[in-house]
Amino acid sequence: MQKVVTISLNGIAYQLEEPGYNQLRTYLERAESRLQDSPDRNEVMADLEQAVGEKCRAVLGPHKTVVNSAEVDRIIMEMGPVESADEKEKAAGATGDAAAGMGAGAQSSGPPPRKRLFQIREGAMWMGVCNGIAAYLNVDVTWIRLAFVLLTIFSSGLWFVTYLVLMFVVPVAHTPEDRAAAFGMPFNTEELISRAKKNFEEFGDKYRWRREWRRQQRHFNRQFRHMNEQMRVATANVQPFIHNSARGIGMVFLPIAALLSAALVVAFILSLFSLVTSHTVFGWALPHGIPLWVGIVALVMLYIAISTPVRMIRHGGQQSAGYHPGWGAFHGLLWIGFVALLFWVSYTYFPGVREVVDSLMWAANLTVSTITETIV
Amino acid sequence: MEITEKLSPIRKGLLEFVILKIVAGDKVYVADMLKLLGPTEFATQEGTLYPLLSKLRREELVDYEWQESEAGPPRKYYKLTPKGRTQLSTLNDYWKNLNKTLADLGN
Repeated sequence: MQKVVTISLNGIAYQLEEPGYNQLRTYLERAESRLQDSPDRNEVMADLEQAVGEKCRAVLGPHKTVVNSAEVDRIIMEMGPVESADEKEKAAGATGDAAAGMGAGAQSSGPPPRKRLFQIREGAMWMGVCNGIAAYLNVDVTWIRLAFVLLTIFSSGLWFVTYLVLMFVVPVAHTPEDRAAAFGMPFNTEELISRAKKNFEEFGDKYRWRREWRRQQRHFNRQFRHMNEQMRVATANVQPFIHNSARGIGMVFLPIAALLSAALVVAFILSLFSLVTSHTVFGWALPHGIPLWVGIVALVMLYIAISTPVRMIRHGGQQSAGYHPGWGAFHGLLWIGFVALLFWVSYTYFPGVREVVDSLMWAANLTVSTITETIV
Repeated sequence: MEITEKLSPIRKGLLEFVILKIVAGDKVYVADMLKLLGPTEFATQEGTLYPLLSKLRREELVDYEWQESEAGPPRKYYKLTPKGRTQLSTLNDYWKNLNKTLADLGN
């Protein structure tokens, strides 16, 4: 059974299966963003809608009233990617000038090629995220890998989540054009989710999935062992310091530290999603020309920088207060309680937060339904 | 690199010329243009053709009229304008010269 969505294309209603509808919506949105600077945008969009409508009509009949997802996919394939005719002309002009060697003046008139961030599987250690970032930043991949490992260690594993997110969000370079192309991806929620869905579907391929999973486990185990060791060394160094400074504070400051750390987690998650969905953090917009992923990295680093001392105080406080399992469980519950409370308060009293949470729920729903579909 | 791949920018650049040629004949509908070009080297898709036609119309080289169709809403039928006809003959001449140059070179 499939849910059906009724849409209007140039004034005529059609019924599409829901996944097909999502595909078509993404296709048309992408087309519109491609034609953003074209004076013919509205006209071309109407033409495209009519062409899609006509193709839909061709597959419908008296006993078939719904266009299924496979048919929508085929229609989109037939339509082909939308390119602005003016843009093409500009690009052709630029290469023509360059080929003719018209000099710097002529060349600088064309827009500089924009880079794109991709996952590059060729020569990748794991999924090629680091490889892609290295290509994008034009530095040796070893440095990026080192940075990722160090950040993972210093964030006690939290940074690894960033890798996983990038793995699903960043497109994979399949063609030589992809590999040559540079960063500058249109980054709206719809595209982000459809890309994550597509990557997940690819990931859902049974055999590959299993292989990747085993690799991931091995990789994670290795990293975890390494991390543990690093942590032990690090804590051994800071232990005396923490012990002295936290001796007196102990039990009094523990709940406060728990509250602080809960507030930080809530603020971090909310600002991360606000950044991804609307490119703003509590009303502060990302400066023009700074790509979203830089903002995300900066935010994560900021969070780590602020939360690490708090975590150390909590850790140290627990140590000096005399650690035993019941005590730790109590503080864990206290912390979870604070997180839930803060979420509830911000959801109830800040409309902006509600929007973010609602869009997050929507995305989660979509993801869950995709996962269910892939499994069933 | 494949020969066809090497020459793909040339085919892309010639598409405008090809469309003007098609439109010069009879009034045509986009689906018919695609069908006509399908088996040729200039096979293309709606995603490319519609933006190109809109651009040509903005440059007043082609124009369209609405025609009722028995199946569904009215369709746009494209035709050449006088300005488009002049441009087409210029392009034709240019293409002939280009062919001549290519044939003469190396002889």
